[in-house]
Amino acid sequence: MSDIATRTALRRVFGIAPALVKGLWLTLGLFTIGTTMQIIVPVVVQQVIDYEVLDPDGVDIEGVLWRGGIALIVVVVAAFAAKLAFVRLAIAAATGLSDLRVATFRHLHRLSMLHVQGERRGALVARVTSDIATIQDFMEWGGVGLVIGISQVLLAVGVMVFYRWQLALLVVLGVLIYVLLVAWFQKILSRAHDKVRLRVADALAAMGEAISGLEAVRAFGAEDATLSKVSKTLDAQFEEEFRTGRLGAFLFSSAEVFAGAITASVVGVGVWLGAAEGVTAGTLVAFLFLVNLLVDPVQLLVETLDQAQTAGAGIRRILDVLDTEVDVPDPVDGVDLPPGRLEVAIEGVRFRYPTGDDVLSEVDAHIGAGARVAVVGETGSGKTTFAKLVTRLLDPAEGRVRVGGVSADEIKFSSLRRRVAFVPQEGFLFDTTVANNVRYGKPDASDAEILAAFDDLGLGDWVQGLPNGVDTEVGERGGNVSAGERQLVALTRAWITDPDLLVLDEATSAVDPALEVQLRRAIERLTGGRTSITVAHRLSTAEASDEIFVFDAGRLVERGGHAALVDAGGVYASLHADWASSTST
Amino acid sequence: MSEQMESIRVVLREGFAHVGRLLRAHKWAFTLAASGAIAFATSIVVAAVVIGRVSEELIIPVLDGGEPLENRWIGAVLAIGAVALFKGLGIILRRTAAGWLQFRSQADMRYRLIAHQLGLKLSWFNRQSTGDLLAVTETDARQATFILAPLPFATGATVLLVITTAIVTMIDVWMGLLAISFLVVTIVIDVFGTRRVFADFEKVQQTRGKVSGLAHESFDGALTVKSLGREDYETERMRQASDGLRDDIIVVTRIWAFYRAIVESLPTATIIVLLVVGVVRINSGDLGSGDLITVTYLVSLLTWPIRMIAFVLWDMSESLAGWRRVERILEVGEFVEHGSLMATPADSGAAVAGDEVAFGYVPEERILSDVRWDIPAGRTIAVVGATGSGKSTLAMLLARLWDPDTGEISLDGRDLRAFARSELPREVAFVAQESFLFDDDVTGNIALGGKSGSEAVQTAARLAVADEFIAELPHGFETQLGERGTTLSGGQRQRIALARALVRRPRLLILDDATSSVDSSVETEILRGLKRADLPSTVVIVAHRRSSIMLADEIVFLADGRIRAHGTHDELLAAEPGYARLLEAYEEDLARRDEERQQAEAVT
Repeated sequence: MSDIATRTALRRVFGIAPALVKGLWLTLGLFTIGTTMQIIVPVVVQQVIDYEVLDPDGVDIEGVLWRGGIALIVVVVAAFAAKLAFVRLAIAAATGLSDLRVATFRHLHRLSMLHVQGERRGALVARVTSDIATIQDFMEWGGVGLVIGISQVLLAVGVMVFYRWQLALLVVLGVLIYVLLVAWFQKILSRAHDKVRLRVADALAAMGEAISGLEAVRAFGAEDATLSKVSKTLDAQFEEEFRTGRLGAFLFSSAEVFAGAITASVVGVGVWLGAAEGVTAGTLVAFLFLVNLLVDPVQLLVETLDQAQTAGAGIRRILDVLDTEVDVPDPVDGVDLPPGRLEVAIEGVRFRYPTGDDVLSEVDAHIGAGARVAVVGETGSGKTTFAKLVTRLLDPAEGRVRVGGVSADEIKFSSLRRRVAFVPQEGFLFDTTVANNVRYGKPDASDAEILAAFDDLGLGDWVQGLPNGVDTEVGERGGNVSAGERQLVALTRAWITDPDLLVLDEATSAVDPALEVQLRRAIERLTGGRTSITVAHRLSTAEASDEIFVFDAGRLVERGGHAALVDAGGVYASLHADWASSTST
Repeated sequence: MSEQMESIRVVLREGFAHVGRLLRAHKWAFTLAASGAIAFATSIVVAAVVIGRVSEELIIPVLDGGEPLENRWIGAVLAIGAVALFKGLGIILRRTAAGWLQFRSQADMRYRLIAHQLGLKLSWFNRQSTGDLLAVTETDARQATFILAPLPFATGATVLLVITTAIVTMIDVWMGLLAISFLVVTIVIDVFGTRRVFADFEKVQQTRGKVSGLAHESFDGALTVKSLGREDYETERMRQASDGLRDDIIVVTRIWAFYRAIVESLPTATIIVLLVVGVVRINSGDLGSGDLITVTYLVSLLTWPIRMIAFVLWDMSESLAGWRRVERILEVGEFVEHGSLMATPADSGAAVAGDEVAFGYVPEERILSDVRWDIPAGRTIAVVGATGSGKSTLAMLLARLWDPDTGEISLDGRDLRAFARSELPREVAFVAQESFLFDDDVTGNIALGGKSGSEAVQTAARLAVADEFIAELPHGFETQLGERGTTLSGGQRQRIALARALVRRPRLLILDDATSSVDSSVETEILRGLKRADLPSTVVIVAHRRSSIMLADEIVFLADGRIRAHGTHDELLAAEPGYARLLEAYEEDLARRDEERQQAEAVT
């Protein structure tokens, strides 16, 4: 059953990355030619013995040279063919898998799991790195072994049948028994490997936590307990590895024993059949060489099939990603947003993650063009989800979000993303310069435009003060600058897109006060004169807005101006009281 | 060329030294494995001789000379079978012993690495990346010991080479010379080819790392990518990186395929030439036909073992590279120094004093300077200060996670550095803001190697206001936590960590922002509970929330690495304008964390 699944999976992959199988038949043919290199030795041995050494007329040196010369030419041709085949296969594999990687990468970016299930990101990265690498390794090593092995076995059997079918039958029967034995043994072995993997995972986890948890280990004096856990898991891993190694040793040695047994039988049966049955001395000696050409590849083949399963698992994981439907798709016949500042209407919206309760329910609201709205609420009340729905980073399970009067799921992405800006809480920066990070919002922006954008937000002095101004490298994930500074760049990035609707998840990094002032001023400029929705954590932000949306347990429970809401004595009033009590003296 | 030779020489010298060290630790295992390999090598030679004899004395006379068969076949069949069995036994012996050797050495090396690192100072860890350290333990330790698997085989192959040389030369000098020169050429080409290919292969690994880094960055920034509609741009970036990797792989494969073709066709060519020369020698009466078959058969069986020698030389340089990275860690001598003082756990708080304490994570940058304090036993002290003022540092110094550069910190008059290893934590418990959960169940995470009974664990959980959510976990206190266990929210993690500290009934309890992810109402409940429980502890708490700060008997206000003021809340409000401003800033920071928590919870 899993074989069928693997085959279907392979067909799908070949469909996505046709380069994988481009010119495959020619490659296989070349591999077969390459394998003749192995077969040539027994054939030459037979020829030389039967027609020269044992020729009653004596050795004909010229004939020997001819035979040797032809054989050498065959070897050279075969070597060229093998090299060519190998390179062709590698090119096909590398090209096809690069395509598959890019396709998977692109698809992942279309899904919302990257920003919704943050903790799975590491696993998703593995889809485009290690899973692809597994397949690559298989194609270049296991796959080559498979192809060479198969053609070697076929050629060897062909030559044997040509020489003496009775002896060929004997060898093939012997090898078949061996195949069954190895296949059975391989199952045991692969179960043992599974156990090893579990033990390895345990040991790695124990070592990992000893190092990453070092501070806790030391603070609680748990060094001995930690070390003994590490030692225990390492020993368990060792035991399992050793056990599996012993099994492998038996499997490996069985190849030799079988080769010996088959060789012995061929000699016995060969001389018993005798010259009367057409078994010549040269033929029989050639068989002794041929047996060795069969047993090794057979063993390799069985092992490779096991590897193929691993590569198959990688393929299936990739297909799982590719098969995941885009949950927030770009509409097919999408429309452009109308010009001007955008209004937002939320109609009966409900949202839930696939596994879980409603995060938002029964949300109805309208935000007029140019209005400045603050969204407040307790932890888990659904504020951030609301922001993501308005920007169509998520789609509601029920109801509708309208931006500029158009249902959000009918707006072309190209229009939506250009006109609606979302500034996430964590200002994410790419590992490049400040300027390039801003340019991420507007790819064709000139350096002058970028400087002007910083000036517009009152950040000109700040950016000039960086070591290399806008050309300062921010490092991996913006690690060279502080959290507050990352936010400044993110705000400038939003500003340069000149959005008509701005959704801002307020990040209040309690950094140094000077930066704090700049952040506030920049946000003020950014939100001024355009429709804005700010997920607010500061009392001051809420107070300064035109209208406040109060969320509680996934519902929009209150809305209105600051003063009115405080007077109403509801959720906002108590939030406000909390704020006030913890800030005032 | 000469440069390459030079580096091969260095690799060989240091590689052999490294391998020698590994082997000395387990002499017997290697001896067994090598014996197995030599038995295998011998049996290959014997097999060739047997095949030669069988051809000359059985096959040719019977099939060509028309001699009667009789029972002559029995000896031949038995001889071939016996040699194969012997060969098989040799393989089993070698692989079993070599496996033991490799896996045992790997486990030993990893253990040494962890044991060594557990004793090093945090100041050293601070300069390393955890990812790199883990990579050394995982990847490099494996790489450093991997050589032990093929090494015995290579030893056997070398023996085989010597015996073959001897036998072939004995049979016929000319054929011997021919065979040997071809073999030597093969090995030399193989060694150079392997080196060159694998050096290029390392470049491929680097490119692979770049592709992986790009994917990580792009996925981490998914929200930014998506909200700016730059998916296509990101895809293009990935396409370029991925195609770069593709091209690198193709370049390496071309070189690899070239060498492979040469090295695989050479032995075959050798055999053919040997056959031709052999026939000529038979013709002149210098060689028997059985001998020719022996030589041919032997060389055909040699191909793989000979190639093994080249691989092992490569493995050796790989192994050496791994070992050098392992060694860099094992050579670090920055150990935490311990005295011999034993802890005296007691049901009473301990007084904590600091005298002219100064500290910096790097020498040029002082975080704390000239800090003195005197906390009487049993008091609750709140440490308050702006980000970067040194509060967390101070808290960590109190737990002796770091040592001050100058000055002394003492617990009931005993210098922290005088305590023996693992003794200080019996009196002092430190709870960090980032709570680390171990791969263990709830009880194990709270007891953490200590001998606390389950009742004590439950009491501690109750005090940490963790009992309710623990009860709701799938298996209660037996629920598996940690990386591969149930996911807990930040606040829940912090409460487990708090219980971990409380179960020890420490004489000094240090809470470094340890309840920051807990809802403020729960935090108040925790802190009130601690007060009510009348814990026999001196408590030092680094906190942001006004409500927590208010619970302290006394507040220490840090600014720029110095104690600016200390006293009660009201006293500080009156005397320190900076203090009031700070509390305002704290409130805003708190709001941010609330939001982060909300996001985290929305995900789970």
